[in-house]
Amino acid sequence: MRPVSVRAALAAAAGLVVLLAGACGTGRPESILDRETLVIGVKPDQPGLGMKVGEGRYEGFDVDVAGEVARRIGARGVRFVTVLSSNRQRFIEEGKVDLVVATYSITPPNRSKVTFAGPYYVAHQDTLVRAEDEDVDNVRDLKGRRLCQAAGSNSWRRVKEERQIAVRLVAAASYSECLDKLRDRTVDAVSTDDLILAGFSARAGSAFRIVNAPFTDERLGIGMRKGDLDGCEAVNRALTAMYQDGTAERLLKKWFGASGLDLTFSVPQFEGCA
Amino acid sequence: MTSVPVNRTPAPPAPGPAASPVPGTPRAPGTAPGTVPAPAGPEPSPVAPVSSVSPSSPAPRGRAGPPSRLRSVPGRVLAIAGGSVLALALLFGALSASFQDVNDGLKIIGHDAGPQVVATADLYFALSDMDTQVANVLLIGDEHGLGKGRQRALELYERRRSDAGRAVLQASALAGTDPAERRTVQAVLDGLGRYERLAARALLMDEQAGHPAGPPPQRVLEVYREATDLMRLELLPMAYNLTLESGTIVRRAHEERTAALRTGQVLVAAAGILALGGLVWLQVFLARRFRRVLNPALLVATAIAGMYALTGFTVLGGETDVLRQAKQEGFDSVLALARARAVGNSMHGDQSRYLLDPERADTYEQTYLDKSQSVLYAPSGNLGAYYRAVDEGVDAYPAATTRFLGLIGREAARSGPSGRQEAIIDVLRRYREFQRSDVLMRRASPREAVEQLVGPLTTRFEAYDAALVKLAGIHRATFDRAVRDGEERVDELWFLLPVAMVSTAVLIVAGVWPRLSEYR
Repeated sequence: MRPVSVRAALAAAAGLVVLLAGACGTGRPESILDRETLVIGVKPDQPGLGMKVGEGRYEGFDVDVAGEVARRIGARGVRFVTVLSSNRQRFIEEGKVDLVVATYSITPPNRSKVTFAGPYYVAHQDTLVRAEDEDVDNVRDLKGRRLCQAAGSNSWRRVKEERQIAVRLVAAASYSECLDKLRDRTVDAVSTDDLILAGFSARAGSAFRIVNAPFTDERLGIGMRKGDLDGCEAVNRALTAMYQDGTAERLLKKWFGASGLDLTFSVPQFEGCA
Repeated sequence: MTSVPVNRTPAPPAPGPAASPVPGTPRAPGTAPGTVPAPAGPEPSPVAPVSSVSPSSPAPRGRAGPPSRLRSVPGRVLAIAGGSVLALALLFGALSASFQDVNDGLKIIGHDAGPQVVATADLYFALSDMDTQVANVLLIGDEHGLGKGRQRALELYERRRSDAGRAVLQASALAGTDPAERRTVQAVLDGLGRYERLAARALLMDEQAGHPAGPPPQRVLEVYREATDLMRLELLPMAYNLTLESGTIVRRAHEERTAALRTGQVLVAAAGILALGGLVWLQVFLARRFRRVLNPALLVATAIAGMYALTGFTVLGGETDVLRQAKQEGFDSVLALARARAVGNSMHGDQSRYLLDPERADTYEQTYLDKSQSVLYAPSGNLGAYYRAVDEGVDAYPAATTRFLGLIGREAARSGPSGRQEAIIDVLRRYREFQRSDVLMRRASPREAVEQLVGPLTTRFEAYDAALVKLAGIHRATFDRAVRDGEERVDELWFLLPVAMVSTAVLIVAGVWPRLSEYR
């Protein structure tokens, strides 16, 4: 009798353990919070935001924000990799990157594929002109002027199509070519996200002037795998803390302070994790 | 459920008798008349249980092994009874812990974070409407009777101001001890003071300037810009994030409690099986050893424990549903609609600001479109395309296959009971009406645009807002009902818990004691 009862007790205990393990094992899906080392995608070619400066080395506002956030959510290490506007969503879906901090706009279609924390900053489309050109106070003053049209960017549409402002478009391969053209007077204005403009103009010294007449809101978010709500909420808390303790202000001034852009130092309105 | 343990646990005793007919039989005569001769009972070893060599002479069967009190009949009875009691204690403990989990979960969702969503959403609404009403007063200028009139706008401003003060106090009370949240509430409070000063200055300067309906003089505008920037860039985002934070708290509470409940359910099931098995085993053992068919006290104890375990298990399963319903069908929608209402109000404010500040008109038009898209998303690059997309989408709803995005869009895409469906259709139709008024306002001449804004457009906005509030009310009712039901069910079982514990304990003792005393 005794050996049997011991066996039965063991069997019952084993069954219990299996059941409990099953109950606990159905826990949450994989989250960025479980990662020792976070792989973060940043832009390689945007001065002031994300710029590749060496093998595996990047610098800029996005890079600093990413590093701060990673530290605050408890990641031990960070590895930065290059992402482009064309591949960042795919990289997130395929798990090649854990986070994307790369002037990634939060829009309803993007949100249906990617979970966004933030925005960590609300950028605005603004206009950059030569410093001596004092007649432009507003995007409407671009009427009749030559506007740079960078390949792959839709910013010019916001001026010419949405605002119906009669500008003359001059094509360029990239925003850095636009800046060259602005300098040698083949275009009169460059119009895109103010942080991008500020990054370029901070490099160029006082040759250019940001008009400071924003006409859109671009909510720059931190993208991660769809459904990682734990991670998203932790990032939002990290961002709140960064604004509350002045880190965000310091970083904004560090990268864009010299550009003459009006910056906002209070926490942006979050989108909510979904 | 119960059939499993019954089949499983009697198994051990089964081989028992096979091995022990020897000890069983000799003692039989002594035990058979057990009712009366309790003390006289088993002759061989009167006080034996402690002494190793056991009451029954035959006990050893070879094994010289450690002297075991478990070999003795009373020792075994005690062991089985003790094991059963232990399992019962585990069962009641697991149930009690799970009930506590449910109660905590319902408290967080139903009484802390739920009200906080409402309080912070009220705060956002009041703040946003303050800024809108200031813009309206400035727009109306000297023509006090225009539309709904300057006086009404001023009164509304005052009312929102006191609403905001109250809501900020409430949010502060509900923020509890979380340092980040407390800092945010404090910052809102400070900012509100600054905003009121700026707004008062703008209103005063505007009155002194005296201008016809439309944009006020530049210096008034400059003060207003400072005020509205403070409001829109600092205060409103903080208020909005407080609302979101409550959503985070609820989501986490829900996940944790649901996981705890599942574990609790498994524990309850396992402990229940063990306890019932033990009690059945005890019953069988006593029946064999003491030649009795049934032990009524034990039978009742088994029945009570079984019923309680089963009910507890079922209720815990039900509570998982209650929590899910309270969160997904109640809270999530209440939160989404509170956000929709917040964004909607600030988008209505952008209409006033669009007319008020021509220099920034482009910005306000763009943010109006952005906000519209986040309320009800329809693919479109500019306002004209958006109006058309909304018209078509709402016309086709709910038959169409097109899925809306955005705060209201996602609510509309969910299925629900017919009452809610109607309320959603109402919201969508009124939203379309509101957007149609927006077209008229933007196409009108400056003066007509102001008339349109402070007249029909505001009326339509209020109708849309009221429909939204009604829809939120339906969800709020679902939410409150689920929370209340959940609490009531747990309370009932909890009330019975001590009764069940005490009665099973008493019954087990009552069932076992007379048998044990036969050995004294």
